[in-house]
Amino acid sequence: MAYSDKVVDHFTNPRNMGSFKKDEEGVGTGMVGAPECGDVMKLQIKVQNDTIVDAKFKTFGCGSAIASSSLATEWLKGKTVEEAQKIKNTDIVQELNLPPVKIHCSVLAEDAIKAALADYQKKVDGALTDAK
Amino acid sequence: MDHNTHSTAGPRELQMARSMCWHCQSEVAGEYFCDRCVKVQPVSKELDYFTCLGFPRRLTIDQHQLEAKFYELSRAFHPDFYQNKSAAEQTISLGNSAMLNTAYRTLRDPIERAEYLLDLEAGSVKEIRNSPPADLFEEILELQDTLNEYRATGRVSETESPLRAKLRSERNTLEQRQRDMEATLQQLFVQWDKLQDRGEATDQARAERDRILKQMREHLSNRTYVKNIVSDLASTIG
Repeated sequence: MAYSDKVVDHFTNPRNMGSFKKDEEGVGTGMVGAPECGDVMKLQIKVQNDTIVDAKFKTFGCGSAIASSSLATEWLKGKTVEEAQKIKNTDIVQELNLPPVKIHCSVLAEDAIKAALADYQKKVDGALTDAK
Repeated sequence: MDHNTHSTAGPRELQMARSMCWHCQSEVAGEYFCDRCVKVQPVSKELDYFTCLGFPRRLTIDQHQLEAKFYELSRAFHPDFYQNKSAAEQTISLGNSAMLNTAYRTLRDPIERAEYLLDLEAGSVKEIRNSPPADLFEEILELQDTLNEYRATGRVSETESPLRAKLRSERNTLEQRQRDMEATLQQLFVQWDKLQDRGEATDQARAERDRILKQMREHLSNRTYVKNIVSDLASTIG
């Protein structure tokens, strides 16, 4: 099955590939995997004043998984934490025109976003508890 | 679902979804064919593959026995033998053959068999995990970076050799790890079968069952991750 132009674009020219230091302030890390296909995805956000100022990813997997996470980091930048929660896998499917067999790649990206946000929240909560 | 009842059933006894023959309406006594009118009976899509092939829900299966059963049923259901039969029988023959092929392909491979059993017993193993093995993932992503570096340097570059040596040793380590995982899985398969054979309904047996399924799920998915990076390594460094 042929990939859509947008998938090919993200795959051959991935945005925001790389990583932040996990313990850096304001960084949330999401690490998820799909046992079905063996894909592994790491997605990180850097938050300042409740806004995601930067996002990075590393993905080991197929073109659609790479494109989904690449697109996710693009979308995350500039969003508030609350807005980021609203990103759905169906949005990714639509934007990248993913075929049904590749929908799980977008689910993986959504899970990675959720995990990164949860990790960030945990850090914030932890810092608050420490301060008390 | 009570999965212990299958162990006592003979290999030819098959639980049909419909207990009545679609053709003569007489009662079908758990065979692939009606006793009275000898018409082929549809194997229900609701049936699991173990039951479909007349095997108990165990993870150790005699390959020869499985193959023999597959050939026997292939002959019984093959569409070629139904060309002169009614349309209804032709449809049943097609459906049964398709089901049989999928069942055999799934049960033939020990890993696929275990994944399928897990699917039946504890929901899909293929679900995305929420508590992934972070260390393993970090390792895989790091290795992928090294692989990209290697691909970028090309085969003629002078930096190739040390990188290639590093990747080769990583590959050996990971292949060993995959074998270790498969050995552990093999042990879990035996534990599962033993537990099933005992057929106890105690709390202790239930806890044991959950433990085995959980560990099996974990090892099966970790094995997939390792296997993927190993095959990526193999195709890149040759």
